[in-house]
Amino acid sequence: MSAVCHPADLSDWRQLLAVIWDFLSLSLFSLGGGNTLLAEYHHLSVGQYCWLTDSQFADIYAIAEAAPGPSSMIVGLLGMGAAWREGPGWALLSGVAAEAAILLPSTLLMVAAALGWNRFKDSPWRIAFERGMGPITLGILFAVGLKILQTADHGPLAYGVSVLVCVLMLRTRISPLWFMAVAGVLGGLGWINR
Amino acid sequence: MEPIAGADGIVPSRRQLFMGMLQVALSSFGGGLSAWSQRIVVEQRRWMSNEEFITGLTVARLFPGPNQINMAVYIGARFQGLAGALVALAGMLLLPFSLLMLLGLAYFYLHIVPAVDRVLAGVVAAAGGMALSMGFKILDEYWRDAVALTFAVAVFLALAVFHVRLIPVVLASGPLAMAWYWPRGKAAGGP
Repeated sequence: MSAVCHPADLSDWRQLLAVIWDFLSLSLFSLGGGNTLLAEYHHLSVGQYCWLTDSQFADIYAIAEAAPGPSSMIVGLLGMGAAWREGPGWALLSGVAAEAAILLPSTLLMVAAALGWNRFKDSPWRIAFERGMGPITLGILFAVGLKILQTADHGPLAYGVSVLVCVLMLRTRISPLWFMAVAGVLGGLGWINR
Repeated sequence: MEPIAGADGIVPSRRQLFMGMLQVALSSFGGGLSAWSQRIVVEQRRWMSNEEFITGLTVARLFPGPNQINMAVYIGARFQGLAGALVALAGMLLLPFSLLMLLGLAYFYLHIVPAVDRVLAGVVAAAGGMALSMGFKILDEYWRDAVALTFAVAVFLALAVFHVRLIPVVLASGPLAMAWYWPRGKAAGGP
């Protein structure tokens, strides 16, 4: 699946800056709440810098979804995986730095938006942006969903569970934590393999 | 929606912003972050009227970044500027992010244990289903708009089939879509 992957050497400051720059520049592209970046995170951490394997990425995504709080905190876990070879202390620091990098640009823009909203409210730019970005977000979300599915699932039963959870998410108001708990038990019993 | 009194002229301090967002994060550990945020900010602490809160949510969804995090930034910035935004953000993230870092440490130590790996194989399958459902959730809004569907399909194909990276795809398709949906005439604003 993955082509040649050159492990990043984070003790080389140029590579470190490159990684920080990657997260900073992705920040402003987190449309529709942030989930649109998942495939990019996979590309960076598995394909480009090989911090994680495919199945580690899937695990980390599941942990970030199951944990309380905004699911976009997955970036903290990616940062942690990136520096795990250097020991847990560095891994923690790297996790915090990665999360700060992904949040900083969008936060600064949001501060400007909160303070200047009244001037911006009826601008044609805002209306065009709001209506134009919707369909693009739609396309991205389907591409991301497919990517996560390919990364997460390998057996037919795993695909079955994913499709069932997808339908239940759309048709019921059951908390997703229940789906994860039940699927975790099924996995623990050895019914869902990868 | 029940009528709720206005902001009562309350201006929360930085400390209060931090504590308020900490309370939101703590209350929402079982889920429903934006509902808790509304309950605490509007109904309990009366920092904002309901209308103001909904305006905030609109801005938070419109701009890049995670919606709930943007909402905390909006609330903080509105009362205390940049410093307020940062303390609100810190309050919102402190507990869940610390917990996630602990889970991450546990994962990287333990994932060699076969039982943990088997449980995660199940959880991952469920999480994959959740990712798949995200697109379907907003599909209804665009179902009747052929141009919107064309944009969506083109973006999907570029990303999933031709493996173009996200940033060039958005930079190419974004301006095109904005030009198409640019409000025409004086009666701008309606769909």
